[in-house]
Order: sequence, then C-alpha cells, then structure tokens
Amino acid sequence: MLTLTIDRSLEDPVYQQVADQLRRLVASGALSPGTALPSVRQLAGDLGVNLNTIARAYRLLENEGFLLIHDRAGVTVAAPAEEIEYSARARLLDEMRATLARLRQAGMTPDDLMTIVQIEVLAIDGGGKENEDE
Amino acid sequence: MSEAVVVNLFLTVRVLLVGGILIALPSIMRKGLLFGAYVGETLADQDAARQVRESWYIGCVILMLLSLLVGYGISLAGQPVTGNFTGTAVLLSGGLVLYLRTYSKARRLVPPAAADQAKKAAAPLVSSESKGAGLAKFALGICLLASLATYAYAVGSYQDMLASVPAYARTSFYKMILLPSANLALSPFLALLALLTANAKRSLRGGSGGGSFEAQDAFRTTYAKLFSWTALLTCAFTSYFSVRIIRVGPSQVRTLALEILLSAGFIVVFLGFNLFRIMKGYGQGGALLEAGSAEAPLTNGIADNARWIWGLFYVDWDDPSIMVESRFGIGYTLNYGNPTAILIVAGFLVLSLALTAVAVIGTLATGG
Repeated sequence: MLTLTIDRSLEDPVYQQVADQLRRLVASGALSPGTALPSVRQLAGDLGVNLNTIARAYRLLENEGFLLIHDRAGVTVAAPAEEIEYSARARLLDEMRATLARLRQAGMTPDDLMTIVQIEVLAIDGGGKENEDE
Repeated sequence: MSEAVVVNLFLTVRVLLVGGILIALPSIMRKGLLFGAYVGETLADQDAARQVRESWYIGCVILMLLSLLVGYGISLAGQPVTGNFTGTAVLLSGGLVLYLRTYSKARRLVPPAAADQAKKAAAPLVSSESKGAGLAKFALGICLLASLATYAYAVGSYQDMLASVPAYARTSFYKMILLPSANLALSPFLALLALLTANAKRSLRGGSGGGSFEAQDAFRTTYAKLFSWTALLTCAFTSYFSVRIIRVGPSQVRTLALEILLSAGFIVVFLGFNLFRIMKGYGQGGALLEAGSAEAPLTNGIADNARWIWGLFYVDWDDPSIMVESRFGIGYTLNYGNPTAILIVAGFLVLSLALTAVAVIGTLATGG
C-alpha cells in the first residue's frame, strides 16, 4: 500500500512535501494514470493538517499536469501529455538548467550530474514499465 | 431475598464489571502509548512503563475493594440504596483520580525523541470510502424516519385524546412525548456517531506498509457497524414502546416496566458483549492486529502529546478530523478543536437538557 509521509520539523512547507512525493510517485508510475487519490478532506484529516495545505498541493500538481481535479469524481492521476507545448518545454528546460547549475555550484562534477540524470530517467522509465507489467 | 441483598448484589456486579474493564484496558492499548501519553514504542516495553502499569493494577484492586466497603458499610447502616450510589460514585470518581495520577506518572517518562515523532504523519493514498459508512448512513436514515414518525404519532394521539377523553382522565402532553423525544434525540445521535466513526482519522504507524492501515480499518469498520446496529436496535425498541405506551395510556406505563427493562438490558448486553469481543479480537485501534508493524512509531496526531489534554481530550484547530482514536480506553473521541465536533457536543447537551425539562414538566403537570 502506498503511503504519504510528512515531517513538520523539515524546512520545506508541508504542501511542498506532499506535492514532491506525489510528483515522484506519478513520475515513477507507482501511481498510474486514472488512479483515484483521497479527497482533500480525507488526506488532510489523516495527516492532521489544514484543508488548505492539501488543496494547495493538489492545485499545484493540477497546474503542472500531474493530477486532474473533478467536481464530483474527486482527484485522479493524469496521463502524461502526448505532445509537449513549446512554451512549457522552454520553461521546464530553464528550470532544469537552473537546478543543474545549482548542483554544479554545490560541488558536483559533470560526471556526477550525468550519472544522476541517467539514474533518475531510468527510475521514471523503469517505474512505468514495472507498472505496465502489473 | 431482602432489598439490601439485591442492592448489594447489583453493586458487586457493577464494581466487578467496571473494575475488570479498567484492569483490562492497558493490555489493549496501542504500543507506544502509556495511559494517555505517547512514550514511544521502545520505552513502552521497559521496566519504568511496566511499573506504571503495575501501580495501575494495584490501584484498581484497592479502588474496587474501597467501593465495596463503602457500599456495604452504608448498606449495613440501614441505607442500601444510598450505599449502592455511594459505592458507585467512589468507583467512578476514584477511577478518574487514579487515571490522572497514572497519566502524570506516564508523562514524566516521555523522552525528548517523542516530540520529534509528533511532527511526523503518514497517510494511505487510498480513496475508497470506509466500509462501515454504508450501514451507518442507512441507520441514520432509518432512525430519523422512525423517530420522526413516532413523534408525529404521539402528537396526533394527544390531539385525539383531547377530543375523546374527559379532562380529568387526560395525561399531560409532556408525558406523551417523553419517549418519542428521547427516541428522536438518542437513536439518530448514535447513528451519527457511527457515521463519524466510520470516517474517523486513521492513525498509522510510519513506514509500516499496509499492516497498520489494515488493522486500523478493520477496527474502525467493526466499531462503526456496532454503533449502527446499536442505533437501529435502540430505535426499534424505543419506537415500539413509544407506540405501546400511547396505546395503553402513559398512566399505565408500569404494566410495561418488565418489557422495557428487558429490552434496555438486551441493548446493554448486546453493546457490552460486542465491545468485549472487539477488545479481545482487535485491541484499541486494531492494536492486536498490527503484529510486526507495531514496532514502527505512531504518527498522525495520536503521537503528539501537545495536542492532548490529560491524554483524554484531543484539541487541534488545524486538523479537519471530527473523530480521532482515543489514546486510552476503547473507541474514538471528538476533536474538540473542530467546530463541527463542538456543535455536536452542544447539540447533545441541548437535547439532554430539553429531555430533562420535558420529564420534569411532565411530572409536575400530572402531580408525579
């Protein structure tokens, strides 16, 4: 069973922790497209956090294309887009460049960066394939 | 048998039952909790925690003996009924004092690491509705319909009585609606509790996979179903006797006393037996089903000592949960930081006061 965990002692805000974990689970295929997620009230209740915290995480992921929020059917995982828009591609590439630059500045070598990128891409691809096998 | 013997027998049974439950409670607690305080899973098995539990057992036995002594003593002095009440009062008030004393001992054992654990929470990513919610909704609907119908029948019968019965033989309106009012307040309230329980907060153990979640869900479902059935039974009996009393006339209610007593006894036995079954089979919050996952730390508010007053009252203004698992005892408690929960308590108090007023006015209006 998949669980989501938060830790209030961390610097990251709770909505960010929730969004990060869901993003990873969707990207790895652990949460496949169409999977229904708990309602805002249910998840907020289980985690003991404000309703707005979960609503904010869900809205963020909806804007990023990870989730679909329906009026009555609740929240489901969105399928990856078949084609990327030019503006979205440019924005995400900028974000990636910025992240890579920060990692390089933090002391990682280009080889280390290459290895990490390969591992992450494999994790996304492998997770998706495993999920298809199930 | 004399009155004193019967009364003392009742007192003895009550003391053994309540005392026995108090003694059994520590063995069904979720691991890591100690008398309303979260001390962590490791410490809960150590000598210090064991000593706190032992002093609780000794305290319970002393309390039971004291209640019996006080009850029997007053009874021997010629006041068996007063002795019965006093013995029970000693047991209940002493139980509360003993709990608070033990809670304060447990709080002193809480390690600093428990505060870090309190900041963590885990939730299952499952969207399915609770399995007990369907029956609870059905029970709530039936209880509302049946109790409203009974109330309407009582009011209608009063109007008919005014037209057909001479004034000197009439009973008061308040006496006529007392039991239907109790039905309207009690059975939907029990069904509402069942529905809230079915959707109560799930306090998982961090990183434990599915074991803790499944145990929690099984306990929550069974508990909600028990309250749904209790609500339906209460509604059925109360509706039935409301109609019977109106038909024989409220002044003749004594003729139904045995039937009413047996029915009430049946509900109490049904509830008591099933609570015992849940205690033995599931433990509090499914503690006895958690097996290997019980070693992982608790999360989700239940581990946060700061959110619990005396380990009994959960108050968290941010948490949207209405019901949460009790830290001590069996079942669930309200989140007193949630406006809906406060509204429920206020509603229950208002209904209880209104019912008392109906009973008092009914007694005064007919001269007792």
